[in-house]
Amino acid sequence: MPAEQTRISPADAGRTVAGPSAIASDRKAALAAYESAPVPTWRRSGFWTTTLRDLDLESLSPREYPAVSSREELPQVVRDAIGDEQYAGLIVQRGASVIYTETSAGNPDGVIACTLEQAFDQHPELVAKYYGKRVSSEEGKFTAANAAMWTGGAFFYVPPDTSVEQPFQVINVIDEPGVAQYGRLLAIVDTSGKATFREFDLAPDIDGQALHAGVTEVFARPNSWAKVKTLQDWGAGEIFDVSTKRVEIARDAHARWFPVHLGGHLTKQTLDIVTAERGADMRHNGLYITQGNEHLDLFTTDLHESGDTTGDTVWKGAATGSSKASYEGLIEIREGCQNSHTYLQTHSLMLSKEAKVDAIPSLIVKTDDVSASHGGTVGEVDENQVFYMRTRGISREDAIRILVEGFFDPVIGGFEDERLEQLVRQRIAGKLAEASEDIAAYAATK
Amino acid sequence: MADLEIINLHVRTEEREILHGVSLQVNKGETHALMGPNGSGKSTLANVLMGNDTYEVTEGQIIFNGEDITGEDPEKRSQAGLFLAFQYPAVIPGVSVANFLRMAVNAHRDEPINVKEFRDKLKTNMDLLTVPREFTSRYLNDGFSGGEKKRAEILQMAMLEPTISILDETDSGLDIDALRVVSEGVNALRERGMGSLIITHYQRILDYIKPDFVHILLEGRIVEEGGPELVAKLEEHGYDWIREEVAQRAG
Ligand SMILES: Nc1ncnc2c1ncn2[C@@H]1O[C@H](COP(=O)(O)OP(=O)(O)OP(=O)(O)O)[C@@H](O)[C@H]1O
Ligand SMILES: [Mg+2]
Repeated sequence: MPAEQTRISPADAGRTVAGPSAIASDRKAALAAYESAPVPTWRRSGFWTTTLRDLDLESLSPREYPAVSSREELPQVVRDAIGDEQYAGLIVQRGASVIYTETSAGNPDGVIACTLEQAFDQHPELVAKYYGKRVSSEEGKFTAANAAMWTGGAFFYVPPDTSVEQPFQVINVIDEPGVAQYGRLLAIVDTSGKATFREFDLAPDIDGQALHAGVTEVFARPNSWAKVKTLQDWGAGEIFDVSTKRVEIARDAHARWFPVHLGGHLTKQTLDIVTAERGADMRHNGLYITQGNEHLDLFTTDLHESGDTTGDTVWKGAATGSSKASYEGLIEIREGCQNSHTYLQTHSLMLSKEAKVDAIPSLIVKTDDVSASHGGTVGEVDENQVFYMRTRGISREDAIRILVEGFFDPVIGGFEDERLEQLVRQRIAGKLAEASEDIAAYAATK
Repeated sequence: MADLEIINLHVRTEEREILHGVSLQVNKGETHALMGPNGSGKSTLANVLMGNDTYEVTEGQIIFNGEDITGEDPEKRSQAGLFLAFQYPAVIPGVSVANFLRMAVNAHRDEPINVKEFRDKLKTNMDLLTVPREFTSRYLNDGFSGGEKKRAEILQMAMLEPTISILDETDSGLDIDALRVVSEGVNALRERGMGSLIITHYQRILDYIKPDFVHILLEGRIVEEGGPELVAKLEEHGYDWIREEVAQRAG
């Protein structure tokens, strides 16, 4: 395997940094911004800190890999995730390289599924209209890094009045230490179109450090329907993930976004869903489960830039081992956004004495005549429920697993996506099995 | 030896002793009623029989099918054929009735039940208990009415086909029609050989399910035993006469 890879040394990063000619100067500026910005630390209310202190940034670099010509040659973790599923478009990015692309012959006219680099080449006007419009390179060190150094990338486009049944899928995979990956997805469902976009971030259990600094922009144009499913499962290796994802919903359009976080050594993600024009409607249903010494820091914003918009955010999370998970969910309603209605709920389940979960819903409302509410619960596995199930012949270990799966069931059931549902259930079951002794010991103390 | 043999059972919580030496025998095919005032220890007995470890057994034994199960895990007792329909069943959010039943049935077998066999069995029992179809897709006991919870308990009993069942106030919360249906269900299982210990405050359920034996628990002791005539006497006179008798016996 090592023989195949090309390491891009900082000296010849020129090609990488140049990227598509249309944005060459932006990339230079972004690189300068990245290099001059200090490594950030995120602090909140004194006691929650996300720090990259342990990340040895200098030792990481983008890596290129040769393309493969069939699914069979893809890394195992990718093959496991895709099975024999059919896609409108499938793009697999390993390290810095898109190594595999598939598009369905049955796609309606005008549908585009290609690398973002190709899109800059072949559809420059379309790309210029959306690229970087929701996630600016100036938001922080890592959005700058992404803007400066992304290569490959994925571009999905569904033209007006077009409905695509099969999902568009991008998979970012990291399968060895030392890699810095700058994944980038730009997806657009145009006026009155309908599409499902999936982004999976996957890794086997690597031994060492790696970084994923991704940027995702999704646009649901007027009167369209977009389903967005983002899944993160970086395995047990030391993968740091600092990413920003934003979904913009235009007039009378609907978007459903299901973020799923199943693993990552340290994750700091900003996940925003923006109802940008009147009639925009969103649902944001996420879940996470953390284990071992994982550190997960999620900040979501339900941002209303226009009146007559609706939102519904529900997040569920569980923490095992000595992991730490923080979910901060903000509802922000800007001035002049009358008649917006939204609510946010967050529920967390503590499965271990050493685990920490922190759920902070908050509100910034600058308009009268809106309804916005939030609420949250933090719970534990209830020994009464466990006993009840045991009296039906179910072992303690299974009872706990079933209860945790039940806790997530309303979110998982909402995916309306058998493949994803199966993947997520399987992974959660695996994680609970790994943590079962710890969980049982904790439940027994209740 | 009886199929279920409770011998001189002493049970306590951290604070105090609740059962002070309870002995009781239940055989397959027999129906026993256990009555007694609030707080006398009926549910405690039921829970201890199933292995609820919030209670400590300090003395005595529970023998089931000839084996001492006093310290056995609840799931093992269930697998051995013991069942409790709870007075206050737990809510299991996110797990549908059908799913739960399948998992419970599978926990009683070596090989998972096949889909068709399970579906047929579920349909038979739902018909027996006139349970509406949509019931099975709801999360178990989540938002169920009192009566619906009791029906869900009996549906579980019918699916698991225990040899001995304890029904803890299954009648309370059921309307008259539901009580009749549930009783018919219990009788059907009794005909197949199930023994039962029916905990109740009321004669009504015992009009449908005729008990062979009646036991009265008072302050953690069985103080009176007899046949169905005891039920009528209690219905008419309440518990005072028993309290007086007990006081006299104590002298
Ligand atoms: N887990 C417990 N911790 C402390 N006390 C308990 C516990 N369980 C039961 N008790 C006490 O033991 C006594 C018997 O309770 P139990 O529930 O067995 O009564 P019961 O006969 O079933 O009453 P009811 O007819 O009202 O259902 C009561 O005083 C009750 O408060
Ligand atoms: Mg009781």
